Parts: sequence; C-alpha cells; structure tokens
Amino acid sequence: MRIIVCVKQVPDTTEVEIDPKTGTIIREGVPSMLNPFDEFALNEAIRIRGTGQIEIVALTMGPPQAEEALFKCLAIGADRAVLLSDRAFAGSDTWATSLALSRAIEAVGDYCAVFCGHQATDGDTAQVGPEIARQLGIPQMTYVEKVEELDGKSVTCLKETDEGYVRLKAKLPALVACISPSSFVPIIPKMGQILKAKKKTIEKWGADKVAKPGDKFGLDGSPTQVVKTYPPPKKKGGGVKISDPPDAAVRKLVEYLRKEGLVR
Amino acid sequence: MDFNISDEVKLMQESVRDWFKRNLPLDKMREIDQKGHPMPKEVIEGLAGLGVIMGVIPEERGGQGLNWFKQAAIAEEIGYGDPTAACAAAFMAVMTGWGFTLDRYASEGIRRDFIRPAIAGKKFIGIATTEPGGGSDVAGFKSKAEKSGKNWILNGEKTFISGVEECKLWGGGYWVNVRTGPAPAGAAHKNMTSFFVPIDAPGVEMTECYRDAGRMAISTAGFTMTNVKVPDDYRLGEEGKGFYYTMEGFDNARILIGASSVGITQRVIDEAIPYIKERKTFGIPLAKNEGIQFELSDIYKEMEASRLMYQKTAWMQDIRYDEEGWLERKGKAKTFQPTDIAKWIAMLKWKAPALALHAAERAMLWLGAAGYTDEYPFQMAWRGVMSYVVGAEGGQNIQKIVIGRELLGNEFVPYK
Ligand SMILES: Cc1cc2nc3c(=O)[nH]c(=O)nc-3n(C[C@H](O)[C@H](O)[C@H](O)COP(=O)(O)OP(=O)(O)OC[C@H]3O[C@@H](n4cnc5c(N)ncnc54)[C@H](O)[C@@H]3O)c2cc1C
Ligand SMILES: Cc1cc2nc3c(=O)[nH]c(=O)nc-3n(C[C@H](O)[C@H](O)[C@H](O)COP(=O)(O)OP(=O)(O)OC[C@H]3O[C@@H](n4cnc5c(N)ncnc54)[C@H](O)[C@@H]3O)c2cc1C
Repeated sequence: MRIIVCVKQVPDTTEVEIDPKTGTIIREGVPSMLNPFDEFALNEAIRIRGTGQIEIVALTMGPPQAEEALFKCLAIGADRAVLLSDRAFAGSDTWATSLALSRAIEAVGDYCAVFCGHQATDGDTAQVGPEIARQLGIPQMTYVEKVEELDGKSVTCLKETDEGYVRLKAKLPALVACISPSSFVPIIPKMGQILKAKKKTIEKWGADKVAKPGDKFGLDGSPTQVVKTYPPPKKKGGGVKISDPPDAAVRKLVEYLRKEGLVR
Repeated sequence: MDFNISDEVKLMQESVRDWFKRNLPLDKMREIDQKGHPMPKEVIEGLAGLGVIMGVIPEERGGQGLNWFKQAAIAEEIGYGDPTAACAAAFMAVMTGWGFTLDRYASEGIRRDFIRPAIAGKKFIGIATTEPGGGSDVAGFKSKAEKSGKNWILNGEKTFISGVEECKLWGGGYWVNVRTGPAPAGAAHKNMTSFFVPIDAPGVEMTECYRDAGRMAISTAGFTMTNVKVPDDYRLGEEGKGFYYTMEGFDNARILIGASSVGITQRVIDEAIPYIKERKTFGIPLAKNEGIQFELSDIYKEMEASRLMYQKTAWMQDIRYDEEGWLERKGKAKTFQPTDIAKWIAMLKWKAPALALHAAERAMLWLGAAGYTDEYPFQMAWRGVMSYVVGAEGGQNIQKIVIGRELLGNEFVPYK
C-alpha cells in the first residue's frame, strides 16, 4: 500500500516577478522551496501512516532542479521520490499537468491515497488536485485541514468550509487536497534523516515511462493557453504604515481610525 | 574545485535555522541573555535531537558521521540563530570541537559513560586547560598528576572554564591538562598529560561563576582538584602527549568558532538592513548615506571572505582526517601539514570573530539608539563574540604568533 504525495517546487518569494517579454515567471536567481501546502500534505501522510506498512512516495513533475524539493521530502520522511521530467511536458496547463501526474501515479501503482496541496503558491489555481482525481476516476476531498483516519477501506478527513468543519469519509483509493491550518508545525529534518535521504536515489521518469497511447502532454495537451501574464498594477499611495512595537502600534492605529471617523 | 553548496548542506542549514526560529526566536534569546546561565536544558536536548552536537563523530561512535565542512556549515547557522554566541560556544566549540577530539583519545568507558550521553544532550563535556597562572602561556600550568598504583591523583586549579555550572547540573566532566613531569625550560609542552575528570569526582570543587560581559546563557567558572583520584583508563592517549592532543582540540574548536562568527555577522547584517532602508533622517533613508552604505559593503565583503576561509579550512581538516583516520590516528597527514592547517585556522580565528565584533558595533551606530537597545541583537552579539577576541579558545595575539611562526620559522616566535 502506498500514499503518493504530489509536490511542487515553487519560487520562495511572496512577489512573483513576470518577464514582460515572454509573460512567464522569472525563476532565475529566485530561491526555490517546497510548496508549503504540499509540505503539509506530506506531513499529514507521515502522521497518518503511523507505524503502519504504508510506503510514502513523493512525486513531482518539473525541471531537473526540482530534485531539490524531492530531496527535502525524503529527509522529512518520504520513502521514495519520483521526478517526472521531460521536454514533452513543457508548457503544460493544469489539465496536461494532472494527466501526466495521474499517469505517473498509475505507474507507481498500488496506491490507497493521493495527497496534494490545496494549491501551489506560484500558479495558485487549485486545479491540479481535483483534476488528478477526475483523471484517475477516484473520489476527492478538498480543503482538508486534517486527515483523521486511514484504514484499509476508507479515509476520513476534516474539511474546512466557510461555515465550519465538515467530516468527510471516502472509499479508497481517494485524493486528498490539503490546506495547512495556522497551527501546523512542520517536521524539521534531523541531520541523520538528511544523511539517510542522501543515500537514496531519486527515480527519474520521462514521458515514455508513463504515457498511454493517445496521451498528449505539454502545450499539445493543454486546452488552455496563457495569452498574457502580468502582475497586478501596484497600488499607489493611500494607507499609512505604522512600524512601532505592538503596544504603541495598536494605540496609533486606534488613534488613526478614530481620526478618520472609521470607528467611534 | 567546486564552490557549490550541496542540497544536503543547504538542507542541514535550513533545519538549524528553522529550529532556532521555532525554539529560540529573538524574544526568547533576549530572555535567556537577561536571565543568564544555566543554559535551559531544552536547548541542549533540542539541538542534540537535531543531531548537530558532535555530529562530526563517526556513526560507529554514536555521532552522525558528518565531516568538518558540514559541521562548520551547521555552526554558522548556530551563530546565526543565537548571535549571543552562547550556543555556539557551548555546543559547537566546546562540546563538538573538543568532544570530537576527546573521542579519538578516550577509552571505551569514557565514550560510553560521558561522550555518548553528551551527544544525546543528557550530559555536558568540556575543556579545562586554563589556570590562574596561565592561559596563553602553557608553561604556566601548575596542575599535576601522580601515579598511584592503577590510579592517578590530580591536584590543581582550573579557571575561566565554560559550562561548569551546566556540567554540575546535568552531569558530565572535563578534559583536563596536567603535568606528569617537570616543564623543561623552552620545552614546556613536554610532560603534559590529558585526563578526563568527571565533575562529580570526589575532590572536585566548583568555584564561583564569573559575571561575564556576554554569552550570558552559558556559565564560566572554575574548579579546584584536591587529591582527585581517576583510573588510568581516564588518561587520554599517551602519557606526556597531552600538548599535541590539545592543539588538535583547539584546531577543531577554532574552525567552529570561525564558522559561527560568520553566522553572527550575517545575522547582524540581516537585522540591520531593513531598518536602515526604512528609517529616514533629513529626508533620506539611512542606507543612502555613504557613511553607512560603504561600511555595510565593507563588512559584507569581509564576511564573504571569512565564509570562504572557514569553508577552505574545514575542507583541509577533512582531508587531514581522511588521511589520519576519523576514529583514531592511524595514518599521517600528507596533503596538508597539520601546522599549515593550523595557520589557516589561526587566520580564521583571528578574522571571523573580530569581524563579527566590528559588525555588531557598526550596526549599533547605524541604527542609533534603537541599535543600542535589546530590541535588536547587536549588543548581545557584541558582548558575546568579544569572548572570542579576548581569549576563549586562544587570544587574538596568539593566532598572530601561530601565523608568524609558519611564515618565519620557529626561531622567530616572540616569546622564545
Ligand atoms: C500564470 C501561469 C503561468 C504559467 N507559466 C508556465 C510556464 O512558464 N511554463 C510552464 O511550463 N508552465 C506554466 N504554467 C503551467 C503550470 O506549470 C501548471 O499549471 C502547474 O504545473 C500547476 O500549477 P498550479 O499552481 O496551477 O497548480 P495547482 O492546481 O494550484 O496545484 C495544486 C496541487 O497539485 C499538486 N501539483 C501541482 N503541480 C504539480 C507538479 N508539477 N508535480 C506534483 N504535484 C503537483 C500539488 O500538490 C499542488 O499543491 C503556468 C501556469 C500559470 C497559471
Ligand atoms: C568566556 C570565556 C570562556 C572560556 N572558556 C574556557 C574553557 O572552557 N576552557 C579553558 O581551558 N579556557 C577557557 N577560557 C580561557 C581562555 O582559553 C583564555 O582566556 C585564553 O587562553 C587566554 O588566556 P588568559 O585569559 O589567561 O590571558 P593571558 O594569557 O593572560 O593573556 C592576556 C592577553 O595577552 C595576550 N598575550 C598573551 N601572550 C602574548 C604574547 N606572547 N604576545 C602577545 N600577546 C600575548 C593574549 O592574547 C591576551 O589578549 C575561556 C575564556 C573566556 C573569556
């Protein structure tokens, strides 16, 4: 039995910069990180596995340097890591990405669950998870803050909604898209775990390893195309920045709100 | 030659940084700095749990089997995480630099009863060379040991010793240098023998803690030894060879001090930059003033040079141990002479702490009154890292003598 965790390497920045000429995200010189929601998904997989016999496989589709993110997954506690990388995947939209990932999930095989992050902090579409479930024909649970139980037959999760929490149960295999609660305390890999991860090999798969006849990946397999990408216009002026220690800052803020007639 | 830092080392550094962010953020650090020693036990247990204390000891001896390059990269992050230098001093220089060296010359019994528990964060092990009569001057040592049957009887006093209070509290002991014969004129290093002395051995009395200027979370005190009986098994290596083991211990400790000082400088820079960019005086940000900006550029340049220096030094030490053996000395260093490595180590020990001290001082000036308060870690860093400049693990001038000796020859050593 396996839990396959889909992870993505994303730029480690809150302000993604876009090349005005090509309309693509500038990745050069921007440090990368493991998508935080995916890190949470992996932590949930490790926690819910407990001491059971479930193998955890971290899977990513990305360029060769995405190995770095997989290496971190191994150090955190994944048993295996698969890097899906091929020129043929270039230009994939979310549909083509999820097709490639579901093919890879099938190639890994023997899975009881697929864990994803809710969304990737660069693309922010939150589509890949649900699309993988659709491609695999398995049930999906989204906005999952906690995986409560995973037995041989089903998985039970706590889903966050605007009104509160909903407890969901699905037959296995199922897809779980996780969203980290503010209380999330990630596993910090110990030196020994990092050294152990270094001894493992990251499996590298190309399109031919996973493709089924008729599959179209990359730009070819993408029903949507990015026409133009641009950063939102910067908000000008307005607002007041208060940078004092908390007590003084709160006092100043209240003063300001009163003066502006925003509170009484 | 490859200047890339591997994913492995990067992740190790990330882990240490995350650990400090979670467990010792600045407000907690300030609290520990104000409250002073003893070091909270959670700190040593947490860092031991991460595998960073004595990580460089080979796996078969209970360590992680890191090398000096990795251990130094970790030490850099420990300096960054705790810029007061208390953690770096206690857990890197003392426990790791000296602990690794101790492990090479210790008996199985010492390893089992002291080193392994210390790796697990349950005990403290330290180094006691300094005496009231001599710190830099090895010939001034008076403590002595006499053989009595299968045991040794130790008498003397050690002073300015890191971690004595913690050692008493948690259990553990010290690498102690004593004379086992007279100190011949001009060859004071002869007849020096190293022992391991448990802190709770009958006859060991702790003296009062000093009120140091900095690195407040770790104690500095001393102890007297009155007819302290230790078995021959507690002798380290060969009789009369203590001086050489001690120089090796200093080398290892100094690499980690250099690396952690680079981390302190980096922290100072990272804390100062947002403020000097943000704060405006006379209508322009502080950082736009050349008087400030050029100093920052200068410190940054020196920091990157120090980082390369510790990396090279650690790399040389790795080659040395690859050749000599990591568990014990089996072979001879070929690629680099240990004295040549010692020269690099001396350059690092001179440069990196002095730079961190300078950086902390300048940052206080850049920020003005705010920088002088404990809202920022500059004054804590300044007080802490000063310990490395005045003397801990060898005073600054002693490093200059080592470099001069290598450049000019033994006959030019000033005090000879
Ligand atoms: C604005 C924009 C610009 C783009 N630019 C480019 C481009 O320049 N070049 C290009 O090739 N493609 C580009 N794409 C496509 C992009 O690579 C895919 O959309 C991407 O793989 C999915 O990212 P997302 O953030 O939209 O996924 P989401 O649907 O938000 O991701 C949800 C979850 O699915 C999983 N997941 C997503 N992607 C992967 C993955 N690759 N491996 C494993 N798990 C994954 C993770 O668990 C993730 O948390 C762009 C997309 C957008 C929206
Ligand atoms: C916070 C702290 C923690 C310490 N922890 C330990 C510990 O755990 N274990 C331990 O054994 N020791 C420890 N020490 C002691 C340290 O090793 C000594 O301070 C150091 O060896 C210098 O000795 P000293 O202080 O006696 O100074 P001295 O030897 O008296 O020297 C005074 C000054 O003169 C300079 N000087 C000395 N000789 C010469 C010379 N020939 N030429 C030019 N200048 C010279 C020195 O550099 C120094 O600046 C610690 C010191 C400090 C400050």
